[in-house]
Amino acid sequence: MHRREALKNLAILTGGAVLVPSCNFEQDDILAAYKNLKVTESQRALLSQVADTIIPPGEIKGASDLAVQDFILVMVNDCVEAERQALFTSGLQAFKGYSRKIAGTFATLEAVEKEKVIVQGLAISHDSTDETEKAIRAFLSLTKRFTIQGYMMSEYIMTQVKPYSLIPGEYNGAVLISSISNLKING
Amino acid sequence: MANFNIDAAKERTFQAIVIGSGMSGSWAAKELCEHGVKTLVIERGRDVKHLRDYPTTNMLPYEFEHRGQLTNQIQEENPVVSRCYAFREDAMHFFVKDKEHPYVQEKPFDWIRGYQVGGKSLLWARQVQRWSDFDFEGPARDGFAVDWPIRYSEIAPWYSHVEKFAGVSGNKDGLPHLPDGEFLPGFELNIVEKYFQEQLKKHYGNSRHMILARCAHITGNLEFYQQQGRAKCQSRNLCQRGCPFGGYFSANASTLPWAERTGNMTLRTDAVVHSILYDEQKGKATGVRIVDANTKQTEEYFADVIFVNAAALNTNLILLNSTSNRFPNGLGNDNGLLGKYIAFHNYRAGISAEYEGYSEYTTSGGRPTSGYFPRFRNLYKQETDFLRGYAAGFSAGRYNYADQSGIGMALKEELLNPSQYGNWSVGSHMMGETIPKETNYVTLSKDEKDAWGIPLLKVNVEYDDNDEKMIKDYQEQMTEMFERAGFTNIRVRDDKRAPGLDIHEMGGVRMGKDPKTSLLNKNHQLHTCQNVYVTDGACMTSTSTQNPSLTYMAFAVRAAHHAMKNLK
Repeated sequence: MHRREALKNLAILTGGAVLVPSCNFEQDDILAAYKNLKVTESQRALLSQVADTIIPPGEIKGASDLAVQDFILVMVNDCVEAERQALFTSGLQAFKGYSRKIAGTFATLEAVEKEKVIVQGLAISHDSTDETEKAIRAFLSLTKRFTIQGYMMSEYIMTQVKPYSLIPGEYNGAVLISSISNLKING
Repeated sequence: MANFNIDAAKERTFQAIVIGSGMSGSWAAKELCEHGVKTLVIERGRDVKHLRDYPTTNMLPYEFEHRGQLTNQIQEENPVVSRCYAFREDAMHFFVKDKEHPYVQEKPFDWIRGYQVGGKSLLWARQVQRWSDFDFEGPARDGFAVDWPIRYSEIAPWYSHVEKFAGVSGNKDGLPHLPDGEFLPGFELNIVEKYFQEQLKKHYGNSRHMILARCAHITGNLEFYQQQGRAKCQSRNLCQRGCPFGGYFSANASTLPWAERTGNMTLRTDAVVHSILYDEQKGKATGVRIVDANTKQTEEYFADVIFVNAAALNTNLILLNSTSNRFPNGLGNDNGLLGKYIAFHNYRAGISAEYEGYSEYTTSGGRPTSGYFPRFRNLYKQETDFLRGYAAGFSAGRYNYADQSGIGMALKEELLNPSQYGNWSVGSHMMGETIPKETNYVTLSKDEKDAWGIPLLKVNVEYDDNDEKMIKDYQEQMTEMFERAGFTNIRVRDDKRAPGLDIHEMGGVRMGKDPKTSLLNKNHQLHTCQNVYVTDGACMTSTSTQNPSLTYMAFAVRAAHHAMKNLK
């Protein structure tokens, strides 16, 4: 993490002149915490960029501010069936190349371009027989699902943004929707 | 235990032994202890103290690593218990894991168990509907099983006794087939549930009802429940974790601490009952042999009267394993019917639909109960090609949710400010009466034993044609009622679940008038060994359609008072 941050900062400082080839990252050790996945530190970093594209930071924190990438990996590792786990892993591996092919290096894309890559990947037809396409779609749909869950069920959201109460209050079986005054929360 | 010295024997001698600390055993213990009877409560599992041993009770959703979900590994290791709706990350620790306590499924049977102090009373769905004579007279009227040796008038005062102490919320509905009880204020039915009530009245007159289900939650008379250290239900709907308010009835929050306070209760945890000891000279049971769950050492405890409340199938197991010269086939089993006539509730079918009306309304807050259909089929007379009928749950709900189709800022904005309200969703599930049959039975394995040297239970229970017809009828009748109420997108289901997942297994030690055709008399005593009482699900002659716990509790109290008359 620190190393990634340091390299990123260096890249910012030098105006992107220091472009570290991605293969350097992929020589990183496989993360031992996720026994059923073969995920490297650099892939985890890529995953956080994907999650941040799905739920970007702003005035209210975004996905990677809440380490949602780690939640995604925990859930895929522990709660997703083996076949989908394998698709997730190969989708994550293939994603960099997929992005490069259709738009460019994911990390360097503008937010709008990143969104386009993900939207396009999610839209891959269920009939597609291309192994890479199938993996990309599975990877992105699992990532989106767990990004949303990990974000909305995070301590930050459930305490500071939309406070959750263990005691929901007395039941009212006929509440006029128009009477509910919801303050608009700005993303 | 030949080398027992006299002091040790004295220390192990009580006036009463209750096997099982759950739903029914804890009531027997409370009544006995309250009336000065020195009582040993034997529990095979670990202690679970109210408040102290509810590790997840105040955990917030984000504190669960998988946000409540089961991992693959847990599901793979526990295919049976993973099918139970309440076996989730927050309450897994209160369920028996498949591998720890194997049993033999001669036919598929999901045996859901809670081996700890309080048993499944921590985990139950807290529905408490009384039986009426429409239920007790069922077998005699319709010619199955044997006639119940008791009627509603004999049990009604004990229902009241239990309801007052446990705390039951509900409305007085005035239905002869679902008698009113001692109710604390009821929760509210929502606007669509009330609408459906009116629609039933309109289309079916007074013949079909949907009422607020009575549930064992405290909603009033708060000072009275303070004596038990219990407070008003806060509608958290996290009951399966153990309630920090004691808002719902559990043995742990209510009956066991009450019994303990008398100074008359001794609780022996981690003690697996091997068998009940029978003395041929005295012609009665004298005690209980246990195997320590941890050390595997055998110990014996003695008492004048023994209550068997190990939960339905384990009560069968203990009695079957209690053999002697006098009872070579299990205690009290002269007629060979012990373990037979097992029945359960048929939960296979359900229905869901939508209602487009009342679109300007939603609900708020929480509610630990829902609507309930008392049985309407074959109620006053036989009217279908199957026997008996079904009760059903019913509920309506409306949910605010986010459109998750987008991505980026638009998605974030929508997640934080969900814009979508679907139609009201309405749904119901059936709880069908099954007919006890000799061919549905449990026996002991001849060659397989558990880690404590006790034979494994073999379960041989299945649905029959009557159940299949009832599923079809439920689906047809509910569809008709839903259509008449103007509900749309109606979908019926049959999830084909195995028996057992209803967690309403009953019978095997049934009550009856005749020792030739039943095991227990009208006071819950074994006909042929009268200082042994069975008041859990094993005693049930028929199942009717109500959630059975309230009836077990009332039976346990009634039998305890009967036993005390004999003790004095």
